[in-house]
Amino acid sequence: MALQRSRCKLANSLKFLLPRSASYLHSHATSFGFKEVREEEKSKLVGNVFSSVASNYDLMNDLMSIGLHRLWKDRLVTKLCPFPGMKHLDVAGGTGDIAFRVLEHIRSVSRRAMQDGLAETEEQTQIYICDINPNMLNIGKKRAIERGFAEDRYLHWVEGDAEALSFEDESMDGYTIGFGIRNVTHIEKALAEAYRVLKRGGRFLCLELSHVEYPVFKQLYDYYSFSVIPAVGELVAGDRESYQYLVESIRRFPNQDAFGRMIVDAGFQKVEYENLVGGVVAIHSGLKL
Amino acid sequence: MLSSAATRRFLSALASRHRVATAAPSALRCFSTDAPPLPTPPRGPSEEQPREQKETSAGASPMRASEDDGSARRQRAGSRTTDGAGKYEEEQARVLRAALPHVVRMGWSESAMIAGARDAGVSPAIVGSIPRKEAALVEFFMDDCLQKLIDKVESGDELKDLILSNRLGKLIRIRLKMQAPYISKWPQALSIQAQPANLRTSFKQRAELVDEIWHAAGDSGSDMDWYVKRTVLGGIYSTTEVYMVTDHSLEFRDTWRFLDRCIKDAFDLQKTVQEAAYLAEAVGAGMGNTMQGFVNRILRR
Repeated sequence: MALQRSRCKLANSLKFLLPRSASYLHSHATSFGFKEVREEEKSKLVGNVFSSVASNYDLMNDLMSIGLHRLWKDRLVTKLCPFPGMKHLDVAGGTGDIAFRVLEHIRSVSRRAMQDGLAETEEQTQIYICDINPNMLNIGKKRAIERGFAEDRYLHWVEGDAEALSFEDESMDGYTIGFGIRNVTHIEKALAEAYRVLKRGGRFLCLELSHVEYPVFKQLYDYYSFSVIPAVGELVAGDRESYQYLVESIRRFPNQDAFGRMIVDAGFQKVEYENLVGGVVAIHSGLKL
Repeated sequence: MLSSAATRRFLSALASRHRVATAAPSALRCFSTDAPPLPTPPRGPSEEQPREQKETSAGASPMRASEDDGSARRQRAGSRTTDGAGKYEEEQARVLRAALPHVVRMGWSESAMIAGARDAGVSPAIVGSIPRKEAALVEFFMDDCLQKLIDKVESGDELKDLILSNRLGKLIRIRLKMQAPYISKWPQALSIQAQPANLRTSFKQRAELVDEIWHAAGDSGSDMDWYVKRTVLGGIYSTTEVYMVTDHSLEFRDTWRFLDRCIKDAFDLQKTVQEAAYLAEAVGAGMGNTMQGFVNRILRR
């Protein structure tokens, strides 16, 4: 029953999407889940979602992904190859998950490279965590204290919009956005901003829930996301709507290849992606030259 | 194709007694010192192939990182502007080249590449986009040395007056001298090359190198000998390379002596094989005669 419903929903959305592939990306910008909303409303609605889930965010992430999101984030940071002296910007990373990993990675690299003379550049390391939602940033700050990063001079918490970053041109070595670009109103603008702030040779990495293509696994995944996740959301966080939005927004996000093309269009080189768990999550990467 | 021809040859050699004796020396004929001084033969068919492979693999590598859905990505690679891909290759080569001076201090490592990127004026984040990091650096160095060797062979005429064995020795020496500055870190490079993931490329690069040396030495064979020759020379090159790692003599004098001895041994071995073959032939003929006589006698009776 539930499976049928989800299929039906998907079919509807596909019918809606397929005939106009050109305007599709733009129409995405004004979607809130499967609902159509005006552009200016989307950011407000997304803001509401994240304010309401902020307190249970970590617990829900663990429950929904069976803890896998930690591995996905580890993989993202491994792909990034952080180095001592790096200027890194983590957008939509309010909880600091990725930023802490980057910092730990840099520490271990510089410890290993002590004799190589790279360690002295560690002092120049700067990691900026940018999030549009102050509630999420507060979680991150709290967790930084718990983890003992409170005194850390490398971490900077910045409230800001991915579409209008407050950083200078060519000031960053790395840009990551984990589970965030889906919620941005204009993906193109966010990509253009990423391109602007990166230095030559800087890398863009995006971790995002994406599309599963394998037949049987796809049905299972659809059932899981349309039936289990909202129910768990209601049970644990007491907020069904937000999690309904979450799974719907995943379906509305462009698939791996389409998103890859958007990154290419933003000017990045060597654009490639890696599917994790058969496409539940994809890591896209690009290089600015 | 070559191997099936070789098999056929082997079978026919088995069939006829006389040819068993002659097949063995032909496999090693290449070593005879009376080879014509530097003919410029057309390249063997198997020589062009690796060069071509290298180029296609280099072209495809930027879009190769993930496992699934390769065809879609390849399409995308095709749709992208080709100068963009070339630009990336160029930039990567620039970073790797700048990393080489740091190798002596930092080893064949990510650190050296990061330092190299800084020198090249690019954000070190680019290192993260290079697949198989350290291996890429070592492989870049190997390719670079091969190119230098080819340039040197093409420009210089110092090889002309030498006999084959000296020519081979000289070429190996030129090539090994190129890695002399990195000798303290060369064991690390060897271990990187020996890792299973990198084994394919490093094997290919060595094959190309040995092939190039044979070509420069003026060899044009492309049948069964081809494998024997390359295997033997590959063995000589690799053992000398390993010898060089632990050689502390002035300007690697011991290594060069070792190299000359290896080559001499190989040529001697060829002579020994030839002599053994002649002996076998003679013995075979004698045995044959005896046998024939014996059978004839039985039949006559």
